[in-house]
Amino acid sequence: MIKIKAKDVDVFYGKKQALFNISLDIEENQVTALIGPSGCGKSTFLRCLNRMNDVIDICSVKGEILINDFNINDKSCDVVRLREKIGMVFQKPNPFPKTLYENVSYGPTIHGMAQSKQEMDEIVETSLKKAALWEEVKDRLHEPGTGLSGGQQQRLCIARAISVRPEVILMDEPCSALDPIATAQIEELIDELKKEHTIIIVTHSMAQAARVSQNTGFFHLGQLIEHGSTDKIFKNPDNKKTQDYITGRFG
Amino acid sequence: MNLVLFTFIVLLGFTSYYFGRKKAYTIQSTKKRLTALPQFYGYYLAIWCAIPAFIIFSLWAIFEPTIVKLLILSDYSNQGYLDDELNLLYEKSKALSRGQFTGEITPFIEASAEKYLSLRSIAQSSKVVIVLSAIIASVAYAYKRISSNSRTREPVEKFLNAVLFTASLAAILTTVGIVFSLIFQTIDFFKVIPLFDFVFGTHWYPAKAFVRDSSEALDPTMYSDTFGAVPIFAGTFFIAFIAMCVAIPIGLMSGIYLAEYASTKVRQYAKPLIEILAGIPTVVYGFFAALTVGPFLKELGTSMGLEVSAESALAAGGVMGIMIIPFISSLSDDVITSVPQSLRDGSYAMGATKSETIKRVIFPAALPGIVGSILLGVSRAIGETMIVVMASGLAANLTLNPLESTSTITAQIVVILIGDQAFGDPKTQAAFALGMSLFLVTLCLNIVALRVVKKYREKYE
Repeated sequence: MIKIKAKDVDVFYGKKQALFNISLDIEENQVTALIGPSGCGKSTFLRCLNRMNDVIDICSVKGEILINDFNINDKSCDVVRLREKIGMVFQKPNPFPKTLYENVSYGPTIHGMAQSKQEMDEIVETSLKKAALWEEVKDRLHEPGTGLSGGQQQRLCIARAISVRPEVILMDEPCSALDPIATAQIEELIDELKKEHTIIIVTHSMAQAARVSQNTGFFHLGQLIEHGSTDKIFKNPDNKKTQDYITGRFG
Repeated sequence: MNLVLFTFIVLLGFTSYYFGRKKAYTIQSTKKRLTALPQFYGYYLAIWCAIPAFIIFSLWAIFEPTIVKLLILSDYSNQGYLDDELNLLYEKSKALSRGQFTGEITPFIEASAEKYLSLRSIAQSSKVVIVLSAIIASVAYAYKRISSNSRTREPVEKFLNAVLFTASLAAILTTVGIVFSLIFQTIDFFKVIPLFDFVFGTHWYPAKAFVRDSSEALDPTMYSDTFGAVPIFAGTFFIAFIAMCVAIPIGLMSGIYLAEYASTKVRQYAKPLIEILAGIPTVVYGFFAALTVGPFLKELGTSMGLEVSAESALAAGGVMGIMIIPFISSLSDDVITSVPQSLRDGSYAMGATKSETIKRVIFPAALPGIVGSILLGVSRAIGETMIVVMASGLAANLTLNPLESTSTITAQIVVILIGDQAFGDPKTQAAFALGMSLFLVTLCLNIVALRVVKKYREKYE
């Protein structure tokens, strides 16, 4: 089933065009990886999906992005509701300078999802459990989240993102600041999370894309060169450029 | 003469820099590798020129007068003069040699004056000779060392280190000196006025001390109930409180607006405009408070049936608050802007609105800096003088009514030290005692500020 449908998306930073005519379908409850060399626009595309590009003054987005058949670039779209549905995990772990508990309860609090302290405790516990962090931190929920290790911080950010039960989770190179062990933990986690969430992950590591994703899109110079099942992209790509990138001949 | 010599030494310094560098280039041209860049050889030589000159100059300045004095007074040594008389004789002959002596000229003094003049000229010329020969010797020595291509970079770096250390030492020593002068005068003050009366007394009326006949002996009982500092401490904190009530909300909100809401263009113009407020001299604020705000408040109050003094704590505090706004707004703007964008992104991505993000993420993260800027504002408010002197009067009333006039520590120091003062008088020493207490208060504030900032930093980083 198609969860997100992007149609002819163009993105401009001021006068400079960063994305050209991107059309891409994203399958529900699967992991879609976006790969490509640096500066090719894959992160920009990811940020279109929860309208994070609104934050950048000079950035403008054209075209349609349908999520559950609703165009999020339409004026009637409520960004607060949209971002509640579409969670995001960033490249560098960015826990808030608050306690672990407050980090996870942040989303549910601002969206009024818990009626009582008990309910909130439950949300925090399930989110941390889903993020495979509960066992490590359950005794120090009221210590600052910034005191954790890099990998733990990133899992905390994932827990924060899933605390509001988003339908889609966007991950922008979530492992690029982590060591191999933490990376393996996060990858395992992504596999687990796709049962309940649709996941789109931007990554520089082709091995990671091959390991975690079912679908892959290859971006180059602001264009979507090719997309399809990960198997096909990695074993038998249609496009010469994709072939060259996958085999490490450029990029 | 000294100026000429000094200029000459500076020129010598430049010349030796030039020669040192030239020498280095010569070594380089023989395809030998230097141990440092050629400039370092120049600096090295210049330092060897400056250090001996500096040492000899300072030693000379310390010892020359003493030695000259000893030589002159040796003529009088067997004539049974007292020390004081000898000093007087010396000063007289010095004055005569400069042609500034107006008293009776005795042959003795005239002889001494002549001797003084000749000694001075001998000293002067020998100084020139010694300084120049020392410089030449040391530069020649250093020049020779260069030719053996010895190390120059390390000594130059060490010299710089020493110069910078001296500069910071000067700042520290000045502070220590000021604090000590405060302490000693304050101790003298408390010998006459009991500490208890000063800290807990509720009457501040230093004018009473003005009427004392200076030839009379000090009578401590006369000052009882004169130097009770409670009213002016209360006034100080009260006016500072009013000022902060104005400055904190406005400053903080404008800081948040500038950092988070204002477009680049608005920010570009608004920030310098707000900072202009900080550039207005406090005297201008003072007469603004005294001539515009004070009378306006009085009229407003009268029309509402309130009794408002023309010089009120409210006028002074309000205007002082306006003065402090730019400090708080500009500093908190800087602090908020420096909160990493990744935290904002994280919050927006959770679906938080701008105000939620500011309230829950950015403000707590920026809090240490904001507290710092507020405490800086408080110390400004407590130390501010001119506005209070002009707008809130000089009578130290003990009151909590913002519509009456009160006075502050700084304003009272001004009152005490305007006009004739005598050292050793309790009235003058009271100014030192007040200065000391002001210093202690601001010191405590700074310590508290540092503690607060440190505590939150531990929590948030």
